[in-house]
Amino acid sequence: MPLTREDVAGIAAYARIALTDVELDEMTAYMNDAIALLDPIIDYDLDGVEPTFHPTGDLANVVREDTVVAGLSLEEALANAASIRGRSFRVPAILAVGGSA
Amino acid sequence: MMGSLDALSARQIATGVTRGDFSATEVAQASLDAIASRDGKTQAFLQVSEELALAAAARTDAARAAGERLGPLAGVPVAFKDNMNLVGTRTTCASRMLEPYESAYTATCVQRMLDAGATPLGKLNMDEFAFGSTTDSSAFHPTNNPWDLTRVPGGSSGGSAAAVTAGEVTLALGSDTGGSIRQPASLCGVVGMKPSYGVVSRYGVVAFGSSLDQVGPIGRRVEDVALAMNALTAGGRDRLDATSRDCTQDYLAHLEDPIEGRAVGVIPALLEAEGLAPEVRSAIERAAHKLADAGARIMEVDLPNMASSIAAYYVLASCEAFSNLARFDGVRYGYQEPGCATLAEQSSLSRAHGFGPEAKRRQMLGAYLLSSGVYERYYLAAQKVRTLITADYQRAFAQVDAILMPASPTVAWEHGAISDPAALYLADVYTISNNIAGNCGISVPVGLGTDSGMPIGAQLQGPTFADASLLTFARALERACDMEGVVAPAFVGKGGEL
Repeated sequence: MPLTREDVAGIAAYARIALTDVELDEMTAYMNDAIALLDPIIDYDLDGVEPTFHPTGDLANVVREDTVVAGLSLEEALANAASIRGRSFRVPAILAVGGSA
Repeated sequence: MMGSLDALSARQIATGVTRGDFSATEVAQASLDAIASRDGKTQAFLQVSEELALAAAARTDAARAAGERLGPLAGVPVAFKDNMNLVGTRTTCASRMLEPYESAYTATCVQRMLDAGATPLGKLNMDEFAFGSTTDSSAFHPTNNPWDLTRVPGGSSGGSAAAVTAGEVTLALGSDTGGSIRQPASLCGVVGMKPSYGVVSRYGVVAFGSSLDQVGPIGRRVEDVALAMNALTAGGRDRLDATSRDCTQDYLAHLEDPIEGRAVGVIPALLEAEGLAPEVRSAIERAAHKLADAGARIMEVDLPNMASSIAAYYVLASCEAFSNLARFDGVRYGYQEPGCATLAEQSSLSRAHGFGPEAKRRQMLGAYLLSSGVYERYYLAAQKVRTLITADYQRAFAQVDAILMPASPTVAWEHGAISDPAALYLADVYTISNNIAGNCGISVPVGLGTDSGMPIGAQLQGPTFADASLLTFARALERACDMEGVVAPAFVGKGGEL
């Protein structure tokens, strides 16, 4: 069943990408076209096939000696932020003011 | 005057600098001169790092004057796809999202080129966040194919391929998640290599699909690409990338080895595929004959699950892209929407106004495919198809040393000629299975199309970590064709004199 405009609006909210009404129409058409391209994979006979999550397959954690090494300075870490206050990144309210969000 | 940068290989430049035939500063000036006179037409660069280039060249010249041993890329002009961090440059990914982003550190791949003595000329255009195969989705400007400025250079490493093709730099680095080095190399008529997954560190390269991304070199000669492979793998495993391997070896050592008696696979079904341009098919058939003339045994092989690679790839790549690009929320870096009341509103509007259309599409698709109830149907199935594709390759490479196929079903097309995203996805059919399996692949120019007059590349794919062997076949093919070291005709001699 094709995705509806409302379905796509819900995905956009989850993906944190605000779409205009026109964009929502275009995105709905695109999503359904793209999913049609992907659909053959659902019908593929994959019984008994194990998934491969990674091309080289044998990943191991890389650890080093627990010694202090220099990282980015505070100034470097903050240098690309659009909004800072003192030693911190500055963000608006996490919860809506007076709301239940 | 010693001649033109157009005519010199990377090794000739490094040797000339080391011997003192010319200085690294003179080479850097020649490259800056070529960029100044050529890039207005190609629009391959997003930033030219003149100060960094001249400072690096001066260090090389000072090292020579002090009697120090110079690196194998001493003075060689190199530029980097703009998803690679280099301190002193912005790293924009050709996106409004990162337009003012100043690199906070340098990517390992970039640093290793610099450690080998290369001179950094700047950052190259690309499809936004590497989503695309035209470079038209750059937020800043398109890049033009040096063979015909009305056509795309391919993508997503289109700036890298165009800059090398026009002779603005000798070498460039690109990244390849589903063909983004090999396809633009094919469309521009240069050599582009995607090493096996893990050969080159991804540290400091902005991530798109972490299980698929791989950095590799683009040059006008197989030898130049092999020289760059030496630099990229020198120093062994990068401890800053858990997927990196120790692949240090001399990639030049076996370039001239004969391929007599060695087996090259062809896949008849792929050459009959709908959408493959006749001029590309005949160029690949001619390439097979030339390899046979050089003594290779041409054998038919099959990759029966390749037809499902497009679906598997666009599931995996979109899901990984959504996960990776979730970090762009406008807080620590990137575009931040002003005047928002809540963090959620700020994130949603920053992402809406920072990302272009294709970046939004890929993330939306990934968000949907990873959602509850959908994940099992698509993502898990795609990872199982990955198992089948990998097994197909293992069976094929038990019979042959390399597989020959196109890198792109057509030559470069005109800007805007293909606007449907899904139609563009289908054009990736020859390159993406290689990323899914983690093998190595390379596109080598084999001639000009009989209908279009545009360059055509033949792609050779090899088994995982058989990168040096793959270069032997690439060199054999290059020897048999007449495209070695070619700069696009309209640009030859336009600046760049030494």
